[in-house]
Amino acid sequence: MSRGQGRRLVPSYLAPGGSSAPTRNSLQALTVLIATGLSASPHHTPAQQRLLDLTAKGPLTVAESAGYLRLPMGVGKMIASQLVDDGYLMARAPLTGLPDGIRTPGAEQPTKSLLERVRDGLLAL
Amino acid sequence: MVSSPSSSPPSPVYLPDGDFDLVKILIVGPFGIGKTTAIETVSEIRSLHTEEPMTQAAASVDDLVVDGKTTTTVALDFGRITLSGARIVLYLFGTPGQERFRVIWDEITQGALGALVLVDTRRLDASFEVMGLIEEAGLDYVVALNRFPDTPEHELALVRSKLDLEDHTPLVTCDARDRTSVLDALRTLADHLVSRAGAELP
Repeated sequence: MSRGQGRRLVPSYLAPGGSSAPTRNSLQALTVLIATGLSASPHHTPAQQRLLDLTAKGPLTVAESAGYLRLPMGVGKMIASQLVDDGYLMARAPLTGLPDGIRTPGAEQPTKSLLERVRDGLLAL
Repeated sequence: MVSSPSSSPPSPVYLPDGDFDLVKILIVGPFGIGKTTAIETVSEIRSLHTEEPMTQAAASVDDLVVDGKTTTTVALDFGRITLSGARIVLYLFGTPGQERFRVIWDEITQGALGALVLVDTRRLDASFEVMGLIEEAGLDYVVALNRFPDTPEHELALVRSKLDLEDHTPLVTCDARDRTSVLDALRTLADHLVSRAGAELP
């Protein structure tokens, strides 16, 4: 997804890069929302502006954003997905090994090495 | 207990820089069992709270009556722990895990590593439903007996048999107010998940 200046001049349905699947279907509770540098415009709703203001200061998950904005997760996800589709936010998948924001069917089973890192990390606390 | 949101949301604590893998573990159990307490005890951020819609079918049977007013939402609480050396940010999601919570249950279980099931010895049967849902979701879990001050000593074997736990499922005791106790329960769960990784699903 480009980080160019100004508003992207393509219809939002083209913004996901040709994918016909709406972003909201791939955003998860732990998808990380990252500002792209585009700031809120007057056409954004107050809720969209609050989400952009919140994430402008640093990355947060969808779940945390919803929590800080006092929104149900589903609503937070809907607002975020529109902003991702329009290029105002980037979505990073919870696990770094996977492509941006994409939920890969069948890739849900955590690997043993990931579980070992969690175990070792907890032991180190 | 359904915790009510405080007057203003806590200041945001942003994610650490760098490539961290974000994972979640569920903390489940019936209302009032201490899920939120357990999360608050170990979380590095003030626990966050969302109100999630639940199915209307639940309204007549649920126990969510606050000041005589039946609520139509269920609270979802979560916190997080950064495991710096392991490059992991571990999220803890607390949920009652009941049929009426189906609306976001799939979302919550999606990609979860496993679950810590909090159980009160005085009402073991209150945990049956959530244990069924956890098993249905294919998640491995550890059962933690939440100790209340007036909890009598119970034979773990008796609890294990009443809950009909599989032999491999660990059963521990846990004081939700004690950081070390909650972390130990999470360590037992992580250990269990590692040992179960690659094991054949029944």
